[in-house]
Amino acid sequence: MRIACPFCGERENGEFTYLGDASPKRPNFAVDGGESPERVEDAFHDYVYLRDNLAGVMREYWYHGGGCRSWLVAERNTVTHEFVSVTAAPGAGAALAARAGE
Amino acid sequence: MADFSWNTQSALEKALVPGRHGVAGTQAGVTLEEVRDISLVQVMARRGRAAETAKAAKKLFGIEPPRAPGAAVARNATLIWSGPDQFIVFSARQADGQFAKVSKAFAGIASLSDQSDGRCLIRIGGPRARQALAKFCSLDLDDKAFPLGAAATTSIDHTAMNIWREADGTDGHAVFNMLVFTSFADSLWHMILDSSLEYGVQASSAHAA
Repeated sequence: MRIACPFCGERENGEFTYLGDASPKRPNFAVDGGESPERVEDAFHDYVYLRDNLAGVMREYWYHGGGCRSWLVAERNTVTHEFVSVTAAPGAGAALAARAGE
Repeated sequence: MADFSWNTQSALEKALVPGRHGVAGTQAGVTLEEVRDISLVQVMARRGRAAETAKAAKKLFGIEPPRAPGAAVARNATLIWSGPDQFIVFSARQADGQFAKVSKAFAGIASLSDQSDGRCLIRIGGPRARQALAKFCSLDLDDKAFPLGAAATTSIDHTAMNIWREADGTDGHAVFNMLVFTSFADSLWHMILDSSLEYGVQASSAHAA
């Protein structure tokens, strides 16, 4: 399996580390916003533990530790292992500001 | 009380045995050379300051740092891409530390780290260098894919390496510059030497010019 790093070009998959689903967003509750503890707990339980087991194209975080040491977001087909796209994760490099919540 | 004397020595002090190794022949297929007395400064632009960092580099070295993998040769230094919005300044070590000069130029816009004693520079050249490299490096190093001025950050033997091409050797063959961590240099040297033995190796060390 070869992965096309947007910074380095195509490399062997041994240079990369897989993190997992790139979809979950950290719940963002206002401090003392009046949310019930159950609702906050449920949201965090979802965020920390619950993952979809997709058969098909999935957005995932990959880390190019054996190369440019950038975090990447890849769209990969979990059935065929085909990479549909690989882009820099928000905050990779210094040019772009990191987006909130990612 | 005993006086301590701290000496600097090459990471390849023991591993590098100058002279011929492996298959004998009139011409060595691979030349391995450790370049000593090097100066390396890692420059990483701070968030949102990439353009200013490139401008400061242009002012200091006369050239822009590479925006994509590549090595840009200036009069007194080579700027080697090492990741998005970061590069390594490679030059020969001078008596007055270059680090202070470079850090002044990038004050407030980039984070710097002196890697002069943290990395070891090994040059591999000769007519069979690519065959030897192919045993431990997964990059396509053919002239078409990796021409003069090309650079890459990759892994060899599970260890990080910066590799780039500057000038070809006097024999006309491509020379690949490999920067590796000093703590792994001894082990990597043996691995590179073993990979090259079948082509005949000429090993040496040199001072950075």
